[in-house]
Amino acid sequence: GSTVTRNAHHIHAVGKGDPQVYAGQAGEPKFAVGEPVTVRDLPVVFYTRTPEYVRGATGKIATVAYESPAAEDETWDRPDATPEWFYVVEFTMAELWHGYTGTSSDTLRTEIPERWLESASWNPK
Amino acid sequence: MAHDHDHDHDRTVKPMVDEITDFEVLEIALRELCIEKGIFTAEEHRHFTEFAEQIGPTPAARLVAKAWLDPDFRQLALTEPMTASKEVGVDWMEPTGFGTPSDFTAFEILADTPTVHHVIVCALCSCYPRPILGNSPEWYRTPNYRRRLVRWPRQVLAEFGLYLPDDVDVRVQDSNQKHRFMVMPVRPDGTDGWTEDQLAEIVTRDCLIGVALPKAGVTTNVITDTRPALHP
Repeated sequence: GSTVTRNAHHIHAVGKGDPQVYAGQAGEPKFAVGEPVTVRDLPVVFYTRTPEYVRGATGKIATVAYESPAAEDETWDRPDATPEWFYVVEFTMAELWHGYTGTSSDTLRTEIPERWLESASWNPK
Repeated sequence: MAHDHDHDHDRTVKPMVDEITDFEVLEIALRELCIEKGIFTAEEHRHFTEFAEQIGPTPAARLVAKAWLDPDFRQLALTEPMTASKEVGVDWMEPTGFGTPSDFTAFEILADTPTVHHVIVCALCSCYPRPILGNSPEWYRTPNYRRRLVRWPRQVLAEFGLYLPDDVDVRVQDSNQKHRFMVMPVRPDGTDGWTEDQLAEIVTRDCLIGVALPKAGVTTNVITDTRPALHP
């Protein structure tokens, strides 16, 4: 299998790991921990990993996670895909779901690449 | 099939399966084609199967027990989880040298506190920290759990027998990209003076996913009653 073209990723990531193999390729992260962000409602054709339930929702950055090509590009094996920063974003359940029956401080965290995020015009609690 | 009785039933080994399913036929076809085309070798297939057969929740339970007993190790587990994993025998770079292709090498441990309880789901599929926790349970992969946990976590946890008071925040972690997560629960009461082995025994797989809390005397996973389907 070592001569198979599709093993190129394996060969380039050996000894580093994935996503570590993309470290240092995305430049400066646009957002910092604690910063409020709104999830954009980008067109989704064929594939995405940004859940529908957070589109348009505002949360705050919990972790500046790592650099990686977005799944939307990686899934089609695009050779020119540029790595970007990924963030774990925290949402308040009561703001995410109409009629949420838990407490007002229950939260949900999910991971989102930078292209999907924009600075929020308001600050969630 | 004609059934002649010239053999002794009591001393005849039963067939392993009554028939080969469509799934098995396709598995064999795909595997043999991949080997024939050189996509992977039979040796690589065996190597990965052996890797998949030796994983399980024991290293994760031991990691939690060690963290409960050793504040320095706890700090390491929270800041460098993959380094801490090595101390319980799990190298996240295995078995390929860059991690498994589907679990990646971005592991994070979510520490519960007396006021925050974490629970994990992969709403998109079944992403799970397999190198340290083994294979995911069947219910974790169901559309039911994936659909409901993100929206009604307290109700779903209650179905697992876990009722959290309102002064404990529930934090659902959806693992929808390359990070994989496990929960480090709070050490329960009634475990003073316990050894690492004793502590590790009560950290079940369910505790590490977040659908149960460790409890002195409880060393197996949650068993829930399941209603049969109305139209199976």
